[in-house]
Parts: sequence; C-alpha cells; structure tokens
Amino acid sequence: MSELILKAESLSACYGRVEALSDVSLQVARGEIVTVVGANGAGKSTLLQSILGAVSPKAGKLTFAGQDITRWPIYRRIEEGLVLVPEGRRILVSMTIEENLLLGAHMRRDKIAVRREIGGIYDRFPNLAQRRNHNASCLSGGEQQMLALGRALLAKPQLLMMDEPSLGLSPLFVQRLFELIQAYNREGLSILLIEQNTANALRIAHRATVLELGRVALEGDAASVAGSTGLQEAYLGGTSREVMEVDHKRKSVGRRS
Amino acid sequence: MISQQIVNGFMLGGVYVMIAVAFTLAIGVLNFLNFSIPGIFMIAGMVSWAALRGGQHWPIAFGIALAASAAVGVAVYLLTYRPSSDSDPEVPLVSSLGFLVLLENLIILWLGSDQQSFPALIVDFNWRFGSIIIGGAQLLSLVLSLAFVIALSLSLRFTNLGRQVRAIAENRRTATILGVNVGSVVSRLFVLSALFTGIGGILFAISYLQVSSSMGESIGFKGISAMIIGGMGNIWGAVAGGLLIGLVEILSTQFLGADFVNISVYGLLLALLIAKPEGLFGPVAAREKL
Repeated sequence: MSELILKAESLSACYGRVEALSDVSLQVARGEIVTVVGANGAGKSTLLQSILGAVSPKAGKLTFAGQDITRWPIYRRIEEGLVLVPEGRRILVSMTIEENLLLGAHMRRDKIAVRREIGGIYDRFPNLAQRRNHNASCLSGGEQQMLALGRALLAKPQLLMMDEPSLGLSPLFVQRLFELIQAYNREGLSILLIEQNTANALRIAHRATVLELGRVALEGDAASVAGSTGLQEAYLGGTSREVMEVDHKRKSVGRRS
Repeated sequence: MISQQIVNGFMLGGVYVMIAVAFTLAIGVLNFLNFSIPGIFMIAGMVSWAALRGGQHWPIAFGIALAASAAVGVAVYLLTYRPSSDSDPEVPLVSSLGFLVLLENLIILWLGSDQQSFPALIVDFNWRFGSIIIGGAQLLSLVLSLAFVIALSLSLRFTNLGRQVRAIAENRRTATILGVNVGSVVSRLFVLSALFTGIGGILFAISYLQVSSSMGESIGFKGISAMIIGGMGNIWGAVAGGLLIGLVEILSTQFLGADFVNISVYGLLLALLIAKPEGLFGPVAAREKL
C-alpha cells in the first residue's frame, strides 16, 4: 500500500449520550477512493465529523499526512488539506456563487492561483459561470452540489471527504457526480466518500468499510465487499443477534496488502 | 424653516449612526445584544476629555480613547461573550449589561460624575446654503460617520474577512465546517464594533462639546432603537434608523416641545414594531444580513 494520507485508529465517539462510534479504524492511502457505507444511524456521519474535528472523539488517534491531528481545531485541519463537502451542501444562500467559491479559499494567500482555479471550476461547470454573480439560492440541488464540490476543491484538499453527496439529486446528476468524483480521483485527489447509494459508491471506490451500529462490520476491496453476504446482513440486520455475531467476528474479506 | 429643522435632524441623527451600526454588527453576526456598547461610547468621550485635559494633542488623545475602546471590546468578548457561548443568548446580554454599569462606575470613581465641557477642537464655523445653516462640526461628524459605514459595508462585501463574517452571520456551523476560525473572526468583530462605538463617542464630543459618565445611556438606547427600526442586522437600515430618530427628535422638539422628545421617539418605535415588526428595511427573513 502506498503512503497513507489518513489513518484513524480505534475512534470512539458519542452522539449526545449515545455511543455512536466504537473502536473504528480506517485508512486512506494517497490517490485512493475509500467509501464508508452502512444503514442509517450506523455512525457514518459521526465518523466523518470526528475526522473533521466537529465531534471530539472520546478515544482514538487521528493521523493526517504524517501529523497527529487528534487535538487540532477544525480550521487547522482544513488549512492542512482535510476538507469536507458537507451533507446537505450547506451553500451560503445570502452570498453569490462566486463569493461561495471565494469563501472556500478563504485560508489561502495565493490569490492569483485561486482566481485561476475558480476559472477552471467555471470551465467545468458552465451553469455556475453563467450565474457567478447571482445569489446562490437560485441554484438547483444538483448545481448546489457542484458548487459545494468546487468550494471544497478551492481549499486545496489533500483528502476530500464527502458526506452523502448524492442525497436528493436526480438520477442524471447522481451519475454526473460519481463521474466527477472518479475524474478528480484520476487527477490524484484522495477521496473518503460516505454514501447511502451503496451500489454506486462501491462501484467507484477502491476500498470500502461497512459500518453497523457504530462498529466496523466489514472491510476490504470494494469489489469483494460488494459481493459479500456480510453487506446485506449489515443493512438488513439492525439489532438481530445473528448480525451481532457476524460483527464480533469482524469479517475481513479480500484485504489488500 | 422646516428645511432647516430637517437638516438639524439629520445632523443629530448622525450621532446615532455609529452606535446603531455597532449594535447591528453584534446582533447581525452574533445574535448578541451587546449592552456594553453605550459604556464604550462613554469611555471614548471621557478618556478623550481626560487626555486632552492632561495636555495631550488631539490625535494622541483620540488614539488613546480608541485604544481604550478596543481594549474594553476585547474584555467584553473574553469575559462575557466567550464564556457563555454555549449557553442561552440571554446570558451574555445580562453580563454585558453588568459591564455597562461597571464601566460607568469606574469612570465616576476616576473622573467624577459631573458633566464636563469638551474643548472646541474645530474652529466654530457655519455654512449657509440660502436660508439653511449647517454647523461645521456636526457636518464633519455626519460625513465621517457615513464614510466609516461605507468603508465597513464595502469591506464586508469585498474582503476575505468580510466574507467570513457574513458566513458566520448566515450560519455559524456552516462557517465552522468550512474552516473559518470563528473565534478569531468574532474577537476581531468585537474590536471593530468597539472602534465604531468609540469613534461615535469622539464625534459626539466634538460636535456637542460635552461629556459625562452617563452620556452613553440615552444615546445608547436610541442607537438600539435605530438598529431595531432598521431591521436588526441590516447596516444601511441602522443608518436610516439613526437619521430618522434624529429627525423625529428635532421635529418633535420644534412642534410639540422638548418634553415630547422621548414620547415621540419611542412612540414611533412602538408604532413601527406593531405595523412592521421586521423593521423598515429588514428582509432579515430572507437571511440577507449586513
């Protein structure tokens, strides 16, 4: 395996008083797409929020690009290139499209490069370019997702984390989105993708982790995870005893070395 | 005759503009009614007066006064807003009100509670436009206030820091997730709001040639009213609200008598709140703040 960009070791975190993550470990190598899938409430979002720093984990260690970031505040992690495309896009609707993009680059001093990259994003998304000085509230859901992606790219991510990016998008946009993720990955961007759209996520990812009730139920090559029975169990299971046993055995299929 | 009164009203309103904008920054971005602002207004006036009396040149005296204003702004941030940022919004409101009382009493201990006359720094001159007379100092302070508000408005729109402030105003959590260092931006916002207030206090002293430990109170409450009239979070609304209050004050002094001033001003506020609760210029519901 090539050099690791992100290494999460034995993370445990609470959501309110409920333990939402327990002893979850995850690795992303440079240039990889890793996806985390699982049913609603499996802890996917809590995992992402813990890596970003919006939720402080009770236990565990986070290493990003060789540095221990466990205690870093969010803004420092983002400065370092650990960037999130948040669930629900979180576009700022009181600002124009261009201002949203500039906000994504707020920590950067290389203004000329920022301008050039914004131009590149406009080339890729002509819909945004046409309305660059319009209020961002005029965009459709799909266009907002493109804007959120562009905004995150302007923060110069070393690892791009995406939280349910396909949620609420039309099938056409979903397809476009997954193509884009692959395209940016081919350009060298490492991606950690959280999705409910499991089939698509597993199709484009290199490796996958299945979360169930806050624990890692299954992990390995995306293709092997997609074909395994453990995936169905994790989704259908919920609290059944059978699945809990599967969970304890921590199946590991087709792990890359 | 009436045109002269309207001009006088706008000149008086200019005094409320800076303080109304300072309140608006705190409400619009932080949803925090910062009651220490009238105290900072008073600190700027009284510290300028004390420094001038101590023999300082006016640029140095005003520099000291603005430094004191900024320092109080930082103290209010550190001691009232930050410790209670996780609790109800009423908590910093009450503790900032405590700060106002504290500041007034510290100044009374140091400089006494008497009204003091402020030295005239600008040669007393008036402009005549036909039958209208405009006082030079009042005009200067109105023009300076508007210039500062224009500068603020432009920087909120076009600078990197301005965009971060607006992001926090719209949605603090989103701003945090996008990597805005909210603590740092908010502390700078407190300094900015204190500087606006301090400049307002100095301009008031220059125009009206008197300062006292209680000078912030009545002007502070009218500044809050101006902010509310303008729509709680809209800078240009606060400017319009300030000018409107000045106008109502002068006109009601002229036509109803001095005893009616507060009745008119706060009656207008009440009537506006009943008729247009969102303020005159405040489509805050559309989340288009500042």
